[in-house]
Amino acid sequence: MALIQGTNTETLPKAKKATILNTLRRDYQLWLMILPAIICVIIFNYIPMYGIQLAFREYDFTAGLTGGEWAGFKYFEQFINSHLFWDLIRNTLLISITTIVVGFPAPIALALLVNQIRWKRGKRILQTTVYLPHFISIVVLVGLLNVMLSPNTGVIGLLLAKLGVEGNLLASVKAFVPIYVLSDVWQHVGWNSIIYLAALAAVDPQLYDAAKIDGANKWQIIRNVEIPAIIPTIIILLILNMGTVISTGFEKIFLMQNSLNLPISEVIETYVYKTGIVSNQFSYAAAIGLFNTMINFMMLVIVNTIAKKVARISLW
Amino acid sequence: MPSITMNRIRNKKPTDLLFDATVVAICILIFFIVAYPIYFIVIASISDPTYVSTGRVLFVPKGFSLFGYEQIFSDSRVWIGYRNTLFYALFGTFVNLLLTLPAAYVLSRHEFKARRFLMFFFIFTMFFNGGLIPTYMLMRDLSLIDTPWVFIFNPLTVNVFNLIITRTFFENNIPHEMFEAATMDGCSHFKFFSSIVLPLSKAVTAVIGLYYLVWHWNDFFTGLIYIRNYDLQPLQIVLRDILLSNQVFAEGAGSGGTGGGYAQRYADQVKYGVIIVSSLPVLILYPFIQKYFEKGVLIGSVKG
Amino acid sequence: MKNKVLLFITICLVLLLAACSDDETSNEPKETEDGKVVLTGLITKHPLTKDLEDMEWLAEVEERAGVEIQWEEVTADWDQKKGAMLAGGDIPDIIVGPNAITDADFAQFPGLFEDLKPLIEEHGPNIQAMFEEQPETELLSTQTDGEIYGLSKYQQFWPETATMQFINQQWLDNLGLDTPTNWDELFDVLMAFEEEDANGNGDPNDEIPMDFAPVAETGFGYFHPTVLLGSMGMTVTGGGGQGYFLEDGEVKNFFIDERYKTFVSFLNKLYENGLINDEAFTQDYSQYQALARGEGEDAKIGYTFGWEKTDRFGLGVSDQYETFDPMKVSADYDGEVSWSYDYNELNFGVNFVQMSSATSNKEAAMKFINELYDPEVSLQVLFGSIGPNIEKTGDNSYKILEPQDEEMDPGTWKWTSTWADNGPMFISDQLDVELPVDMKAVDEQQAPFNDVFESLDRENDVFPGMMLKYSEEDHNQMTLVNTDFMNIAISKFGEWITSGGIEDEWDSYVQQVEQMGLPSNIEIIQGYYDDYKEQLN
Repeated sequence: MALIQGTNTETLPKAKKATILNTLRRDYQLWLMILPAIICVIIFNYIPMYGIQLAFREYDFTAGLTGGEWAGFKYFEQFINSHLFWDLIRNTLLISITTIVVGFPAPIALALLVNQIRWKRGKRILQTTVYLPHFISIVVLVGLLNVMLSPNTGVIGLLLAKLGVEGNLLASVKAFVPIYVLSDVWQHVGWNSIIYLAALAAVDPQLYDAAKIDGANKWQIIRNVEIPAIIPTIIILLILNMGTVISTGFEKIFLMQNSLNLPISEVIETYVYKTGIVSNQFSYAAAIGLFNTMINFMMLVIVNTIAKKVARISLW
Repeated sequence: MPSITMNRIRNKKPTDLLFDATVVAICILIFFIVAYPIYFIVIASISDPTYVSTGRVLFVPKGFSLFGYEQIFSDSRVWIGYRNTLFYALFGTFVNLLLTLPAAYVLSRHEFKARRFLMFFFIFTMFFNGGLIPTYMLMRDLSLIDTPWVFIFNPLTVNVFNLIITRTFFENNIPHEMFEAATMDGCSHFKFFSSIVLPLSKAVTAVIGLYYLVWHWNDFFTGLIYIRNYDLQPLQIVLRDILLSNQVFAEGAGSGGTGGGYAQRYADQVKYGVIIVSSLPVLILYPFIQKYFEKGVLIGSVKG
Repeated sequence: MKNKVLLFITICLVLLLAACSDDETSNEPKETEDGKVVLTGLITKHPLTKDLEDMEWLAEVEERAGVEIQWEEVTADWDQKKGAMLAGGDIPDIIVGPNAITDADFAQFPGLFEDLKPLIEEHGPNIQAMFEEQPETELLSTQTDGEIYGLSKYQQFWPETATMQFINQQWLDNLGLDTPTNWDELFDVLMAFEEEDANGNGDPNDEIPMDFAPVAETGFGYFHPTVLLGSMGMTVTGGGGQGYFLEDGEVKNFFIDERYKTFVSFLNKLYENGLINDEAFTQDYSQYQALARGEGEDAKIGYTFGWEKTDRFGLGVSDQYETFDPMKVSADYDGEVSWSYDYNELNFGVNFVQMSSATSNKEAAMKFINELYDPEVSLQVLFGSIGPNIEKTGDNSYKILEPQDEEMDPGTWKWTSTWADNGPMFISDQLDVELPVDMKAVDEQQAPFNDVFESLDRENDVFPGMMLKYSEEDHNQMTLVNTDFMNIAISKFGEWITSGGIEDEWDSYVQQVEQMGLPSNIEIIQGYYDDYKEQLN
């Protein structure tokens, strides 16, 4: 990824063989435009990164963050040798991959669907409604789930009982992932569809007209006009999503945990909370965090490479 | 416009009718699935919490009371919180956009040599970070702690996710020929960006503006970690405190006092009320942004 | 646009420069105009508690100690805030709050907090008095190496158990049943509650025979059925915690005890017969509370656990309930019967106040801390100022007043008015105090349990969990084991009760838990306990 080798597809016809100076002279306007963002990221994101080495050191307050004794991979080993390690990995992957598989296509489908509505008022009402749940805080969402899924008094609990699904869903190991994922989709599908709606809004109307003149029906228009228009966005978001493959978020799972679903609901983030944060084991928490980051980042690089080969779309 | 008349006729194809009917049916279904829990929150915020917890509030409020809202609004801190949050959100979003949009434009220019390196430079920060403690120390060394600036300049000032979204949009929706034509006329990057790219990108600007705004609106972590002076706290911190002060005795009775019906009884009412109080302003905003998502509105605006 | 960008860069730089340059923190002692020492303080107070500046007693205390404290009041998410604050070395002069700074913090941030020991000897007569009257408080305050970083508290009034069992006496009367004295009788009573229309509202199916508070994944606490382990002579503390208990001077863990197996099997039998609320494991605390309040005059719950009657059942149905004697496991059991013993947890506390080692005027800070431990001040820390909250009825006698706000119960009133249980205090046994109604009610309802505790060997059968000070290394080691172990133990607890299987799985479960390192934890704790016992004698 070296700076100078930035080989490229298109260059302006006038450009000569570029020397650094030439490039700078030609691109100084571009550099000026991106400079504030670069400065900001260097200060607020890169400078604190020295803290990463905490994962390899003993935390020693008197010696400062980077002065502690070198511990090597001690904390990584401690995590990998933990009795719960494989359970944690399995649960985390199960939850996050299911979330991606179900949660990723949902907003795309919703955006395409909303885009079909011609009654403007109805369209706006639907759009606003699906956007609302995003603003519900996690505490309240989990409270809502508790109330609604109650087998004796909850709306959904009673409804399911009528349909023949007996028992307390909140207590079920099997139901935990579906409840988690579906409530997640419910909460964020509208919000996440906004970006696709914006992309759809940018489709050139002439394309629609052309398709109609060719006698395309609506389904064909979706396939041949609308989906291609949002494909770049879809791929970019998919790549970014794959970069969170071993992250589940903490709060919602933590609040949804109970003694009966614990075999499936203990994930890396809740484990870090229980061991690392509550008892101030900074190094251990940092090591687990870095372990996660490495996996996520590797996934991102792999998926990005594939996307580049297959669809010629990539992050960098 | 002959094409529109043509559309109308073509639309009457039987497959399209079936299609339309399916769309309507699915939309109605989605509407009810999403709307009911929201409606439930509204009625729960004005019902007796004992009825709510025991499942007796389903479609109409029961044991009507506005205690929750009284609790929330009788607290003078709420108004200070609103004021602070409004300032942080508006000014913060402005700064975010000021940094993100030009950067995204630059990263979308294929002729810009450092583009790939810089993308990597930005994306790297999505994954690797030093953690809370070094960030806190940095803020302390910059003397940003306990100042409003910390809400505006922090590790998320340039949100890389938003940056990538914007760049992708620029790449795919600003035709290359446009820039070439513009350079022929002696147009600089600055000029091209501000007079062609921005007007063409209202939709994505609206989206990431909304993303940033809502992030600022919901951000309570910054206030929690970096602010000690209560007069600077954003709304979310204030509401969290109100929420907690009504919810305190969960499992805590043994730790000293009796929980007493008083606080516990209205805990849930306050909980649901807080959601409404905190999100209403952002909800009102949405319809104004929606208009940028109408089909073809953008291209049309440039051409016209 | 060019201009805008340039302008922006300039603004950024100027801001940063300006921000960097106004660094003017100095360590010079600051004073107000009238010569009072200015200190900074932080308190992790209860969310209900009013602003500190509105507390009359606090103003008087600051006045007497010759200090003026600028308080930062934290009500939520202290754990998250704390890490950054301590690691940044950025702490106020005085920190107040229940275990707001833990022993682990002292070990992890050496040099950040002041060793108060020499200061107490010089300026802390009230603290010395506390150490003398209640020697435990000195042990609780002293680290393994002898320093005193955080001071403990003592409040004499709280009962010996936080968890009481209640049964619906009216239902028993309606059905002509006696209060159960052992588990078999309990089973029969609960069966009758389930099958018949115990509350007499015409619907035989709306009674829930038994309910308990939701069990956290980190271990047992108050209002959990683990108190029933006492039926087989086991005394748990704090509701059970992570299972460590003491028997004849030996540290054990009930999660691998045969009696625990009997207990879980019994609960499984109850659950299978539909006698335990089928949402007991999934409800949250407010659902747990709401359910017991019944509907109007109709109670819903037969047998449950709580802190106090009106707190647990609300005004509507609380009259129907009575506390009753702890039961035996079976009619022919002739051993001891016990209950959860929580006196230590309720009356003592660790690390309620600490001082920064960077405090500019340590003497003044110590004087202020010492004032808090004055018995009369302490009473006001707990119940509120003399005047609105307390009436002084004699030289050494006080009466706690009814809430001024009629809608409020005494508990809420206390928490609203003052630091209450979150404050450092020494309520000397010498004080003569007339307690508020809620505390009196607790005392009355406690009678059945007090009988059990009379014969309790507090030295050899009560695990003094909170009194033990572990080294950092041992603490970390134990935390890791306990996290893994709780994950298995608590999920098995739920699974065995709701779906059975304990008979088949018990042996492999015990083996698994032992592999995780439970025996080494027990060994570590035993060592610390032996030291503690030696120190106390």
